[in-house]
Amino acid sequence: MMPCDMDHGSRLRWFAREVIPHEPDVRRWLSVRLRGLESCDLDEVVQEAYARLWTADIDKILNARAYLFVTARHIIGEHLRRSRIVSIELMADLEVLNIVDDEVNAHRRLSGQEEIARLHRLIEELPPKCRQAFKLKKFEELSQREISARMGVAESTVEKHLAKALRLISQKMKSAEQGSEVLKVGTDRFWKRGRG
Amino acid sequence: MVRIGSGNGDEVEGQAAAWAVRSAERELTGEEQRQLDAWLAQSHRHLGAFVRAQALWLDVDRVAALDAAPRPEPVADEAPRRWSRYAMAASLAVALIGGGLAYDRLPGRVATERAEVREIALEDGSRLFLNGGATVQVRYGEDQRRIVVRDGEALFDVAHDSARPFVVTAQGVTVTAIGTRFAVERRHGEVEVTVEEGVVAVDEAGGERRLIRANEQFVMASTGARRATLEASEVGRRLAWQRGLLVFDGQSLGRAAAEVNRYSDVAVTIDDPTLARAEFVGVFRIGDGEAFARGAAQAFNGQVVVREDGLHLMRRSNSPSH
Repeated sequence: MMPCDMDHGSRLRWFAREVIPHEPDVRRWLSVRLRGLESCDLDEVVQEAYARLWTADIDKILNARAYLFVTARHIIGEHLRRSRIVSIELMADLEVLNIVDDEVNAHRRLSGQEEIARLHRLIEELPPKCRQAFKLKKFEELSQREISARMGVAESTVEKHLAKALRLISQKMKSAEQGSEVLKVGTDRFWKRGRG
Repeated sequence: MVRIGSGNGDEVEGQAAAWAVRSAERELTGEEQRQLDAWLAQSHRHLGAFVRAQALWLDVDRVAALDAAPRPEPVADEAPRRWSRYAMAASLAVALIGGGLAYDRLPGRVATERAEVREIALEDGSRLFLNGGATVQVRYGEDQRRIVVRDGEALFDVAHDSARPFVVTAQGVTVTAIGTRFAVERRHGEVEVTVEEGVVAVDEAGGERRLIRANEQFVMASTGARRATLEASEVGRRLAWQRGLLVFDGQSLGRAAAEVNRYSDVAVTIDDPTLARAEFVGVFRIGDGEAFARGAAQAFNGQVVVREDGLHLMRRSNSPSH
């Protein structure tokens, strides 16, 4: 499925294609389980999961979505054991969890058309300068130097605008678009089984 | 290990975004690389945030390439036109699959391997030939057919459409054509435009518009712009790669070897300087460095020696000097 000798760019594209689309679901799944665990931050669990996936042998990962869920589960499990929080319900939940079947089927990939629409929505929500720099970078494919000439600001300012645009977009990508990805039925069934 | 509760998630993401943007823009300096490494070493989470930010930044290019027009148009009369763009994306995708490209290539963005020359049919009837090691981006909009040459050389056989000019950009140089055949090469910081048929208009930042006609060449180098007139046969020779061929017609063997090595995984080295200056005539298939070395050895009564770094062409030790 994966080419064996993946370079840095290919690995990043694999992440973009195979991992990031599932992040909103894993976050939703985590947020329910981390409720009441104030010492455990959702962003941090997700970052840790990404780091583990990055260092994993991704050639062998056939189902990135399942792998992401399982990795996130391990991370919370380790945290719970370390912090000695006794929450029988949560631990039971984590042990019994069968992530693979329902949750995987619950996902629907955005079509190209939907992806374009989402990107435009995200861009429209950026502050004006950020938006201008971002469009010049990603649609006109200008260098930061060319953008700085076009906008009449320092190159370092352009870089700041772009970094801010990326941070804002990355923030928005944490939650799924309305009515797009998850079949609620699948999630509910999954929940019952998890608690059973 | 996750150090839960340590640090501020938002701050980490801000830093990750800043590093992702910078490292995508250019090579980091030694000092910057040390700073980044130090930051990544602080926490495994930093690595995760950095990977995520880089993947998101890169993925925007893929989505942007799906969409040919930069600005969303009014919704009202948009739908029918948008379809033509998707049709474009689809026909490109078909061309890519037909060419056996790796599945993870981005739609709209086309790249060739070093020893590969590819012809791609575009939706408007224009044809695009990519020389080895080239990367271009195809963006067709309603009022413009746009191609960005990121690297290497591409040749365009443009279908006439005066309502939608065909615009090629490479590193600040813009070439506008209506119906013609021309090549744009971006290599080692220079942009070279060679016109085989018709006329193109070349614009560069801060310069005036130049019209470049058939058998003319325009070069934008760090030392400035220049134009030259070429023989029709020379244009044909230079652009023979579109048929997968390299043609030499009296060029020095040294230059011919350099040209061959652009495409070949096996480097051919001419060790003898007098041999490197010898004039050479021949036609070779792109990527076949070995055939070139054997052919040249035969022509000059030399021999090919295989070493670890490739093929070496030298005079026979017992042969009289030419």
